[in-house]
Amino acid sequence: MDEPIDIEAAARALRDAAEGLPDPLAGLRIADEHLERVLRGQDFLVQDGAMGTLLQERGLTAHGELPDLLNFSDPDAIADIHAGYVRAGAEMITTNTFSANSHKLEGRASVADVYRAAAANARAAGARYVAGGLGPIGVLLEPLGTLSFEGAYEVFAEQVRAVVDAGCDIVLIETMTDLREAKAAVLAAKDCSDLPIFASMTFGEDGRTFLGTPPAVAAATLSALGAHVVGVNCSLGPAELEPVAHELLRFARCPVVVRPNAGLPHIVDGRTRYDVEPAEFAAVMARIVDAGASVVGGCCGTTPAFTQELAALVAGRTPAPHEPVRAFAVTSAQEAVVLEEGSAGVAVIGERINPTGKPKLKAALVAGDYDYLVGEAVAQQEAGARVLDVNVGLPELDEPVVLAAAVERLQATVTLPLQVDSSDPAAIEAAVRGYAGKPLVNSVNGKRENLDAVLPIVKRYGCAVVGLTLDEDGIPPTAEGRLAVAERIVAAAEAHGIPRADVAIDCLVMAAATNQDEAREILRAVSLVKERLGVRTVLGVSNVSFGLPQRGLMNATFLAAALGAGLDLPILNPLSGRYRDTLAAWQVLNGSDRGAAAYVERYADALDPYAARAGVAGSAQAGAAGDPSTPALRACAQDDKGAALRAYAQDDSKTASPAPATAGAPADAIPIPPALADVADEVRAMERLILSGRKGPMAAATERLLEGHDALAVIDGVFIPALDVVGARFERGAFFLPQLMASAEAVKAGFDVVRASMGEGAAADDGKVIVLATVQGDIHDIGKNIVKMLLGNYGYRVVDLGRDVAPERVVDAVREQGARLVGLSALMTTTVKAMERTIELLHEQVPGVAVFVGGAVLTADYAREIGADYYGKDAAEAARIAERFFAAHPAI
Amino acid sequence: MDAEGLRVDRAEALRYLGYEGQELDADLERRFDEAVAACERDLRARCVHAVFPVDAARSGADRVALAGCGLVLEGRDIARHLDGACEVALMACTLGAESERALRLRAATSPTDALLYDAAASALVEAAADAEEARIVSDAAARGLRTNFRFSPGFGDLPLAVQPAFLAALDAPRRIGLSVTSANLLVPAKSVTAVVGLFAGEPPAGSARSTCASCGLAERCPLRSQGRTCHG
Repeated sequence: MDEPIDIEAAARALRDAAEGLPDPLAGLRIADEHLERVLRGQDFLVQDGAMGTLLQERGLTAHGELPDLLNFSDPDAIADIHAGYVRAGAEMITTNTFSANSHKLEGRASVADVYRAAAANARAAGARYVAGGLGPIGVLLEPLGTLSFEGAYEVFAEQVRAVVDAGCDIVLIETMTDLREAKAAVLAAKDCSDLPIFASMTFGEDGRTFLGTPPAVAAATLSALGAHVVGVNCSLGPAELEPVAHELLRFARCPVVVRPNAGLPHIVDGRTRYDVEPAEFAAVMARIVDAGASVVGGCCGTTPAFTQELAALVAGRTPAPHEPVRAFAVTSAQEAVVLEEGSAGVAVIGERINPTGKPKLKAALVAGDYDYLVGEAVAQQEAGARVLDVNVGLPELDEPVVLAAAVERLQATVTLPLQVDSSDPAAIEAAVRGYAGKPLVNSVNGKRENLDAVLPIVKRYGCAVVGLTLDEDGIPPTAEGRLAVAERIVAAAEAHGIPRADVAIDCLVMAAATNQDEAREILRAVSLVKERLGVRTVLGVSNVSFGLPQRGLMNATFLAAALGAGLDLPILNPLSGRYRDTLAAWQVLNGSDRGAAAYVERYADALDPYAARAGVAGSAQAGAAGDPSTPALRACAQDDKGAALRAYAQDDSKTASPAPATAGAPADAIPIPPALADVADEVRAMERLILSGRKGPMAAATERLLEGHDALAVIDGVFIPALDVVGARFERGAFFLPQLMASAEAVKAGFDVVRASMGEGAAADDGKVIVLATVQGDIHDIGKNIVKMLLGNYGYRVVDLGRDVAPERVVDAVREQGARLVGLSALMTTTVKAMERTIELLHEQVPGVAVFVGGAVLTADYAREIGADYYGKDAAEAARIAERFFAAHPAI
Repeated sequence: MDAEGLRVDRAEALRYLGYEGQELDADLERRFDEAVAACERDLRARCVHAVFPVDAARSGADRVALAGCGLVLEGRDIARHLDGACEVALMACTLGAESERALRLRAATSPTDALLYDAAASALVEAAADAEEARIVSDAAARGLRTNFRFSPGFGDLPLAVQPAFLAALDAPRRIGLSVTSANLLVPAKSVTAVVGLFAGEPPAGSARSTCASCGLAERCPLRSQGRTCHG
């Protein structure tokens, strides 16, 4: 083959060498020089086309048998199909092993045997390269399904070992829809082989995988993780995949593979047909190749005729230059945050998931209440955060376990990329390993020992990293000193194969109160680091104001200065309106808010806080007080707790209340408890909040009631009686379920305030512990969640085991927690059997424990039949059961 | 194969929530509206259907076998429902992984919002199934065939255990991202699978629409105990 000089590739290689990056192909076992050139993007590679649709056409799959077993039962047919592709010009043949994993084979053959037979069939067909193919496992990973990340990794690891043993040249991971599953496969391939790794995902008509991953995320994540070729297969026809290919090419740091279907499928008479002809297919592929894709092939519906067209298309040519964007990128499974080199974008990192100085978050973490973290995450997302910092550093916690659990819960609910924040490399590794995306690791520093511990993790899991400008000698006081440490960090990262685009430097903010001279040095360091090293910069902004009054003023001013100096990734509290005002203004000044459109929309009708203040108070110095007055700020104001309540009371008088406003109370009003007689109006207002299910104003209302009153008076005198009224209304049909729920949520908001006010000692549960679970096999847990909240409101300590819970786990939890009452839910007739087994095991293993059950298909008779002690037809009934039970069985 | 612009039938969603004309506070109504709007805005239905000839030789009074995919629908109820059908359309619709994520998010932040969203999403996937069924009906009509109502696994004595083979026959995991758990529940949960019979002549009597007679839950149905039904 000719070897024309590829100037682009040569330039890239030169630049990489200049940046000190090791050869990404070092240590790989590569079949020959052509394949090596393919992996460097210097040669085209033609892959084969469909296997499954050809088997279907030959009538070999009519009885639902696994096509993989045909490698044994009909090796000639398989080799014949492969040979057709080889004759048509395919250089690489993929083994017929799409389903050859332990889950799908179910013991009908060993994984190793299938790959051995399949590779032999491919070799028999004369394949130049044999790629051992791995498809999706066929069971969904958590959180959608039940397979753990490690479980998936083990399944793939077994396959990769089989690929190696079978003598394949390439590990080919294809048709992935779950980025987390693809990550498990790539990791297994890296760990268990030294072969080149191809990884491709499949995208739908909305340009995302079924699990919501766009091509940019797939390309950025999988290429950072270490796949040698990334791309798309299956999905749609070539025309529909053209935009997908473009996005992949923008974000992949390696060659890109595109293997479309022969158009869109139509099932006719039980057979799948595709609607694109070979010539038309090749015409679109020509454009995709011109855009930079260098590995081409076909998927469902394609035949050797398509391969022939592709081989002709690339014959005698070298790939078009493929220049991915030079950008700092972090991703979740659904979103990429991309700061392109030279662009002015700023991405806020939300800092609120950090227990330092936050007693409620601390208590939530200690209690394992990750829902609280999700709430914090959502609030920050809504306030404009682009990345979320996650820090769970508390001495009493097992940090690796808790950090991994927190990250797992957050990635299942919130779509923002996460910044994993820990000084413990073991905790960082535990959290980033199963993370579906390219997280930001916070942090590494310039100490040799720390670089050696953290950077291998960053590289292995394809992360970006924050580098702190401190080393064995501490934090250098000057800008030049910080730059020198940053330089060493960037060099060390590159030596580990982490490109500098994936490094963000934190020049470390010191308190102006103690290190006043350093403030300007920090700002200068940000500029220097950015200019000299070409990396992104991070700062934890609010550190600057420690020890000074009006911290918000100091923080916002420093933020403005730092943005001016080149700060890209401020770590701050996005709920602070003051920060948001500064950022909104800065985005006009740096040109990212084009035409100031967002700024104008937000502020055109807003009052100038200082002008407004001056107008009212006539005071020229009012501005210094910094009272928040923009809309954003007003929403965050904490200083007028009664306002919301008063506003509600007015609002309520306008709506059609069943009772006359003068009476102020409905017919089933709760009696005013004597201890709260002096605040009867506020008790009534709170009662209305609860009965109408308004949780928003409840916290403030509760705080006011607690001023000068006993917490128990509020609980027993207001919360519980109001809940009883709600329960009674629900019972007689005056309320329907969402009303019951909304009221319960309002009470919970009040309870949270009471608990916080009672401090650490509030955890006492009087032995009234209830374990709740949705039984094994059942995933419908809404009813159980309703019961959980209601029981929590009545003061019981509820241990929620979640859904699809094995009987043994329920027994274990009952023993560990010393629970005497268990609630089980099942929605399906089929899963009531699991409920019966759980009850049986509980009664056998933990005598004395009582079980109440609920669920759509249960009746009182049916509940008795399966051995339950109580039947709760709804959540209100569950609360009454608990009350009766604990009254009859007081703690010993 | 994609159904866009679908709307949540609000009355239907409220009915799932047990609404019987209670007076709604403005706040709760706003939260319901938000759940409906979020479903309509963020969720996208993916649907697929395929038509298979009935394999008469392998079918009987307690089973219907389909040609070309190896699927057997077991049970007397489905056999009665498809009695005389020349072909059978299998259909599947799902609101996708996003519906699961949105539900998990709300379950963590507000169980009330989770409940409202759950009901709205259920109504939305029913609308998607209605639209897919309408496509089957119109395709059949164009070929001069009659249809009867859609019958889902879990109805009558058609077992949920058919779901894995049902999805495989449609290649549903690959084509619309619909899977099934080891307990035969669909994942994402906001999904529907169903069977529609295609007839050269008149469909069997009583199968034009869903009734309590073919429902395995009829005996324990809370709606029936109130003198109502779920099929209008």
